[in-house]
Amino acid sequence: MQATDNRKQITVGVFILLGLVIFVLGVFTLGSQRKAFVKSFTVNAVFNDIQGLKAGNNVWFSGVKIGTIKKIQFYGTSQVQVFMNIEEDSHKYIHKNASASISSDGLIGNKIIVITGGSPKFPFVEDGDQLQVASTLSTDDIMKTFQVNNKNLVDVTSDFKVLAGNLVEGKGAVGALLTDEQIAKNFKAIVENLKTTTESTNRMAEQMNTFSKTLNTKGGLADKLMTDTAVFAKLQQAVAELQKTAQSASAMTENLNKATSKFNKTDNAVGLLINDQNTADQVKVIMKNMETSSKKLDENLEALQHNFLLRGFFKKKAKAEAEAASQNIQK
Amino acid sequence: MENKAENPSIPNAEVKGPGKLARMFLTLYDVYKFIARFFKEGFLPPYEAKELFRQCYEIGYRSALLISTTGFITGIVFTKQSRPSLSEFGATSWLPSLVGIALLRTLAPLLTGLIAAGKVGSSIGAELGSMRVTEQIDAMEVSATNPFKFLVSTRVLAATITIPILTFYTAMVGMLGALLNVSLSEGTSARAFFQASLEQITFLDITASTIKAVLFGFTIGMVGCYQGYNSSKGTEGVGKAANSAVVIAMFLIFIEEVVSVQFFGLFRS
Repeated sequence: MQATDNRKQITVGVFILLGLVIFVLGVFTLGSQRKAFVKSFTVNAVFNDIQGLKAGNNVWFSGVKIGTIKKIQFYGTSQVQVFMNIEEDSHKYIHKNASASISSDGLIGNKIIVITGGSPKFPFVEDGDQLQVASTLSTDDIMKTFQVNNKNLVDVTSDFKVLAGNLVEGKGAVGALLTDEQIAKNFKAIVENLKTTTESTNRMAEQMNTFSKTLNTKGGLADKLMTDTAVFAKLQQAVAELQKTAQSASAMTENLNKATSKFNKTDNAVGLLINDQNTADQVKVIMKNMETSSKKLDENLEALQHNFLLRGFFKKKAKAEAEAASQNIQK
Repeated sequence: MENKAENPSIPNAEVKGPGKLARMFLTLYDVYKFIARFFKEGFLPPYEAKELFRQCYEIGYRSALLISTTGFITGIVFTKQSRPSLSEFGATSWLPSLVGIALLRTLAPLLTGLIAAGKVGSSIGAELGSMRVTEQIDAMEVSATNPFKFLVSTRVLAATITIPILTFYTAMVGMLGALLNVSLSEGTSARAFFQASLEQITFLDITASTIKAVLFGFTIGMVGCYQGYNSSKGTEGVGKAANSAVVIAMFLIFIEEVVSVQFFGLFRS
């Protein structure tokens, strides 16, 4: 009986102890998660709008939970002062110029305070410091933008409504296009023309194709030009000779130029003849003299014909000439 | 009893109208006296330590398996049934958090209370009822043993102590059930599960649950003892005592749950 009682008492003891162990474990797990037993310090920030933040919400720094909201109270006329419990270990990462902003840990999640920024130039935060506040877009702000968008959408859709009504009634160019039969016919004709044009273009393309094929035919001029290196060499040679010829022509032209330029001067016979007035006059006199001389010579020769010594010769000659002339007439 | 002694001249016809109301107030007065007597006698020496341990064994240890199993199944079922609603808007990752809140705030104490009311409350009611019927209680009074101290105080104290302990077990086993389901379906690790499930839990939640469990244990013990101790004569009285012990205890547990939710809600804001 005594042994049974003892066993029962031990069982009850173990049972209760285990239950208490579960309780204590639960409390400590929760405590470590809530950082309840971690040494902490307090900083605060003054917000215009805390968007429903509550005591006990988390404080994040670089995406890591470093503390919780300790107290929320009104400040000044309408601002709100939020006190945050930050664990001591995070002290060496947060600088005095860091800023706090209100965010949420998901689209519809809890509100949190996010501490960001802070440069190493500034000392670390201390207990009781006030952090500056960075304003963020609240859901209300987003909603306001959405509202503007909605209004625009309403405007756009009402415009579209009017437009669609006009289209149905056949007003305007597009409306007419959609409803007028004549335009539809014209359009059909345009399409028909387009079709013909396309066909022609097609044909042309085919011909071009054939032509290019001919060009590509082996042994053809174009093909040789494109592919035969010997032809090219010959062409090059021909061009070089042409160049030489051109150079000779150029030299010749230059010589001619020089020669003609001499014509303009009076230091040579031709130039003198062309340019000098005296020489011209002299030539004129010479010519006159020559004319006179030839007249006199003529007279002399006439006289000579009548000279007895030569008279016979001239008579014979005249006779032969007369005969030749009569023969030509007979013919 | 006192009613009849104080008003012997009132005929039955006159009591009929307000009689029910009067009886209710009289019962309330009886209950108040019963509770006051528990506090008076339960904490004054001599202590019935041995009997207290025996009752702790009977009420606590003997119920542990039943209540833990129920908790485990509840954890699995609750998780499984909550998943479709959460996955509808892609929030299955919140499942541990939801189960944590549900189990630790409400389900664990309430479930333990209800199962214990069924198992412990009925057994206390039947045991004390049969003792009353077989006049064992009267015999104890005659033999100079305080039956209230020996029978009632030990049982109420044992229930008040062990129901919170059972609640801790239920909570843990229920979480394990939820973990099993979540890790099988989503492949969540135990560490991630407990991190997520305890994220939304505060010390206030644990304190509230513990206080609720103490209250439920006290209610179960008290109702069982009151119904058994004051059971009417006859074998019918035993059954009635056992039955009403369960029904009233369960009803009171729900009332206490509602009131405590309201009460602890005041501290949450």
